[in-house]
Amino acid sequence: MDKFSRRNFLGAGLLLGASSLFAKETTKAIVNKNPEFIPPVVAFPEKKPMKTISDRPPLLASNRGRELFTEAITPNDQFFVRWHLPDMPMYVDLNEFRLEVKGSVNTPLSLSIDDLKSKFEPAEITAVLQCGGNSRKYYAVTGQATHGVQWDHDAMGCAVWKGVRLKDLLTHAGVKDSAKWVGLNGLEKPAMEETPDFFREMEIKEALEDQIIVAYSMNGEDLPYLNGFPLRLVIPGHFSDSWVKMLSEIMIMDEYRPSFFMDVAYTVPDNDCECVISGSDFEYKRKPIAAMKVKSVIGYPLPESAIKKGSRIKIAGVAFDQGKGIKEVMISLDNAKSWSAAKLGEDHGKFAFRPWSYDWEPKIKGEYTIMVRAINRIGNIQPMPDEIGWNAGGYQYNAVDHVNVKIV
Amino acid sequence: MKKKLLLATLLLSTSALFAQVSKPIEMPYVEYPIAAGDHDEVVQQYCLICHSFGYVLNQGKKSRPYWKGTIQKMVNEFKAPIPKEDQQTIINYLVKHYGYETSSEH
Ligand code: HEC
Repeated sequence: MDKFSRRNFLGAGLLLGASSLFAKETTKAIVNKNPEFIPPVVAFPEKKPMKTISDRPPLLASNRGRELFTEAITPNDQFFVRWHLPDMPMYVDLNEFRLEVKGSVNTPLSLSIDDLKSKFEPAEITAVLQCGGNSRKYYAVTGQATHGVQWDHDAMGCAVWKGVRLKDLLTHAGVKDSAKWVGLNGLEKPAMEETPDFFREMEIKEALEDQIIVAYSMNGEDLPYLNGFPLRLVIPGHFSDSWVKMLSEIMIMDEYRPSFFMDVAYTVPDNDCECVISGSDFEYKRKPIAAMKVKSVIGYPLPESAIKKGSRIKIAGVAFDQGKGIKEVMISLDNAKSWSAAKLGEDHGKFAFRPWSYDWEPKIKGEYTIMVRAINRIGNIQPMPDEIGWNAGGYQYNAVDHVNVKIV
Repeated sequence: MKKKLLLATLLLSTSALFAQVSKPIEMPYVEYPIAAGDHDEVVQQYCLICHSFGYVLNQGKKSRPYWKGTIQKMVNEFKAPIPKEDQQTIINYLVKHYGYETSSEH
């Protein structure tokens, strides 16, 4: 009991600050005999038990793995969690919480969640939230392993987001003519003052796009605490490092403010293929990751499944892109020699997961590789795994997915 | 509701922190295994300040240049307060327990 109360963050995080807490929490050493890391499965607040890659800050992936990705909407209690900095508040008091809109504006705003819900027209959009490093571990299959958290295809999900258009907030505050940039910051803070803060910036003209919202609801409920309660920026079509959690500040600026996570961390090579020779270090000109790339993932069957000959199975999964919309999803069962069209499921909008399925009745025993490949409406097509351009940060992996199964 | 709040304040009696509606979330704590020996105490002293050991374990086995680069990144970019000699101790520890010496692919 002592152990538990000492370790939970009840108030302590607020009183002590995370750094002192972490420093005290040096645990006794245990010999690690198993070199392969199998994350423990732990239930965090409002979540089903999930693979806990890290507890501070929390990095959680669904324990159902791929199976989560046969449906268009990902349940809140299994939606992946990814924070960057250890000092997040353990409590947000809605009576005191305010979203500030300030800087180069005529009327600075200070809005409660109630204000957002009652004073602005609600907007709703179904959109995929995907970490820039999703599927990163697959770079190591065809090239060098990259830096960063070695995610499987599990750092993604799709939800119905509801909130206020960013555009409406900016219009309400009255952006000055001199303003060029919008900076967005949340309540997540580093343990050490000198560690760069995590914030995003975008040009005013981008911020005025219709589909960008400040969301207070996810799949019809309040945002789960660990997905950014009470407010999260939603930039459909963009990787999730831009989707600021616990959004508390919108700063309108005349000049760009250097941002470590945007300028240095979440970047790809600044050339046409956004790639360098596998194994290169970060010594290249970089640009921030932004729009997602066309991608599809097999949700069912799971890798290494044994399937009875002659049974009818429904291969299923999801596909998505940067918001152009999925045109076609194709399946190959003969190592990419031939491809056949999968059936597209319900359309939840061009920023959402597009479910797909393919009926298969395997008649011959043996080992099979199921591959899936998506094309979007502007002709972007997923590369084969040995064709994908490599980058040292391991971002935006979108090669053709595959699952090996055995027909018995 | 009023009553409940009052009770909570009395019980915890610490401060005004708990004066509002709902209560703070309680985050489970995970005890990640940390290989013993080779000055693991130095690693524990510095590498748990900003994140759990899960970050290290998740990387899998990595080369010396990789670990050296990662420690440099922690120090230069994230401002980890680690003196030079301790950096070397940590790199040696990581290579031994969570890495390999040759720079060949794996
Ligand atoms: C001053 C804070 C700080 C300290 C101290 C620190 N780190 Fe980090 N570390 C970070 C931050 C910030 C990140 C990136 C966080 C994120 O994106 O989730 C990170 C990420 C990592 C990663 C993930 C891979 C990557 O390249 O991003 C590894 C591995 C890592 N740290 C290892 C270490 C080790 C080993 C030590 C002990 C020498 C250490 N860290 C000490 C702040 C720190």
